[in-house]
Amino acid sequence: METALSYTDPLIIQLAIAVVLLPFAAFLINFLLISKTSKVSGWISSLAILLSFILSAIVFFKVWDKPHDIHVQQVWFAIGNVKVQIGLWLNNLSVLMLLLVPAVALPVHIYSIAYMAGDAKYTRYFTYLSFFCFAMLALVVMDNMLLMYAFWELVGFASYLLIGFWFTRDKAVQANKKAFIMNRIGDIALLVGILMLYAHYHTFDMVKLFAGDNALANAQGVDKAWLTIPGICFLCGAIAKSAQFPLHTWLPDAMEGPTSVSALIHAATMVAAGIFLLGRVYPAFNADVLTVIAVIGCFTAFMAATIALTQNDLKRILAYSTISQLGFMMLAMGVGAYSSALFHLATHAFFKCLLFLSAGVIIHEMQHLKQKHQLNIDPQNILYMGGLRKLMPVTFITCSIAALALIGLPLTSGYLSKDGILIQAFEWAEGKGWLYSIIPIGAMLTSLLTAFYVARLMFKVFFGESRLKEFNPDIVPEAHDGSLLYQIPMMMLAACCLFPLFSFNPFFYEQAWLFKGFIASSYLERMNLYHTVVPVAVNLLIVPVIYLAYATYIKRDAHWFKQQGVLFRFSYNQWYIDSFYNKVIVKLVLLLSNLTYWLDKNVIDGLIGILANIGILLGKIAAWVDEYVIDGILHVITGIVKQGGNFVRGFQTGRVQGYLVTMLLVILVLYVLKTFI
Amino acid sequence: MITLTDFLFISAGLFCTGIFIVLSKRNAIQILIGIELIINAAILNLVAFGKYDKLNNAGQSFALFAIVLAAAAVSVALAIILNVYRQYKTIDPNKVERLKG
Repeated sequence: METALSYTDPLIIQLAIAVVLLPFAAFLINFLLISKTSKVSGWISSLAILLSFILSAIVFFKVWDKPHDIHVQQVWFAIGNVKVQIGLWLNNLSVLMLLLVPAVALPVHIYSIAYMAGDAKYTRYFTYLSFFCFAMLALVVMDNMLLMYAFWELVGFASYLLIGFWFTRDKAVQANKKAFIMNRIGDIALLVGILMLYAHYHTFDMVKLFAGDNALANAQGVDKAWLTIPGICFLCGAIAKSAQFPLHTWLPDAMEGPTSVSALIHAATMVAAGIFLLGRVYPAFNADVLTVIAVIGCFTAFMAATIALTQNDLKRILAYSTISQLGFMMLAMGVGAYSSALFHLATHAFFKCLLFLSAGVIIHEMQHLKQKHQLNIDPQNILYMGGLRKLMPVTFITCSIAALALIGLPLTSGYLSKDGILIQAFEWAEGKGWLYSIIPIGAMLTSLLTAFYVARLMFKVFFGESRLKEFNPDIVPEAHDGSLLYQIPMMMLAACCLFPLFSFNPFFYEQAWLFKGFIASSYLERMNLYHTVVPVAVNLLIVPVIYLAYATYIKRDAHWFKQQGVLFRFSYNQWYIDSFYNKVIVKLVLLLSNLTYWLDKNVIDGLIGILANIGILLGKIAAWVDEYVIDGILHVITGIVKQGGNFVRGFQTGRVQGYLVTMLLVILVLYVLKTFI
Repeated sequence: MITLTDFLFISAGLFCTGIFIVLSKRNAIQILIGIELIINAAILNLVAFGKYDKLNNAGQSFALFAIVLAAAAVSVALAIILNVYRQYKTIDPNKVERLKG
């Protein structure tokens, strides 16, 4: 395959640019023209994203599965002989993301119109949201690593703004700071990786580096280490953005933002940017790095799933679930299931977004109940919910579909993508020794844990009786589904969580069109037992797991899942990772900054103080000299002049005759002197 | 026979009288008269020494110039005195002492 320059269609390029710029236009209009609380802004942003969605669909169908990538470039700037070019690189991966982002963003925009309706900063919210969509869309189409990095940062910045959207709350401020700082660690690694590649290949052009046969792996004369280290750096960038261990702790805290933001940014799109990055620079990873990716992904998936088991905050459970699912995608990338990872990315975007939107509605209703009955409860706590199934049927049904997709039961999209990952993980581990088989087994275990915590969530929220009655038996809980602006986006997303969108055959992921769009691999054939055994085994195991959750939380007759003990506390406190960071790393950083502060205060400030004191001393000496020496001389001179003047003044009597006498006397004296001397 | 010395004596006498008047009088007009006497003493000297220049009569000619100049000086002086009087309502030079340092 050539560098894909042979195939460029100006129409597609223009459409792709329009897709990216429409949200930017909405951002500018909202930012500059629309008043603070005007309701117009929501419709402008939604319209922009709707047009974006339509155009991106056109682009998608024109580009998808074509033999050549679309790649156009223009010189951006030149330094000496080095020309830096920017352009678009549209291949299957980027058009998939280009379609996915507006497809998820559109329902979220519509939902937000209702969700944010009463907020004082309504326009600002949509300004930020449009800005985020612009940055995200630009990120996926850029062909230049430098510019991709810039948009990578802008996406993080938009996320920062939206996490701290309610910046009057202290927790939100802490959370957005945390997200920003933790992302920064990854961003620096990413930048280092980009510059390292530039140092060796003298180009930022991703097409030259990563497309087709230009892959880095073919590079000759470059030390292997110089291929491994940038790979690790890219991985670090992805770890921070996609909230993988050990940089995952920002994501649960990021739930302080509006729920609709959590749905769009922290579940469906931005956190997937890390996975997208891995997919974009896939050839940069050699076998060692891929193993690291798989291990990190597997560990994160497992860890986050165990944490999600015991959390009580509705959004926090979903956040850990997101981390866990992103871990799955990482794992898939690591084991070479490139297409499965992206397939899971796409399906996860829909069902996790839907779960968050449902959570938004539920929390909204709980907040109403809290205010109505003046209860002292946390509206996000699932322990106070229950029995919402009959009160909010639409939310219940859509949320159930998403939950089933998340668990990965057949007929849903999640089944197709998740089982693909599991199967390929098993195939990857085969024949590599027992140590490698930890990864597929861990993934399998994680999917069972996922089933349990999702079932727990659903049972606690929707089934049984409302636990508010435990506070006050007189309470008759009232809740409803909310307006059509809530319901329609959720129904749209629910439709996207089912299998027909992705495959006509609900049981074999191998037949999903999305799957076929990526690297043709042997995985496509149902060549061994795994393809049958793994899905069947997983689903057979999931059923008792769900029943167990039912028994534990609804019938309350299974008591082996104890609410105390070491393991419970370990999970409840999120593996103590946050505490560890707070106690060790934050403390070390604080210690270091205190040390530098001390140095600054005492050494540097001391030196400056001494210098300043010397200056003051010199100034005082100069002032003394000025006052006593210079001024003294001047006073003496003026004194002499004054005395002289006073002396001479005495002669001026004003008597003309006196002057005449003086004159005559002088003349006489002169004559006398002249005559006798 | 009147000798040169006699002229010089008379001239010296006139001069001394003039000086005395100038220094002692409390009236500007009288001082002006004293000044006239001094000038006339000088003119008398010029004429007296004119006997040594019988050819050109330079002494007499200078005397004529001096007389004219004296007349001019008197008119200027009188004008000054008039103005002084307007300013100070007096012509006593001792009372006109605004230039005192």
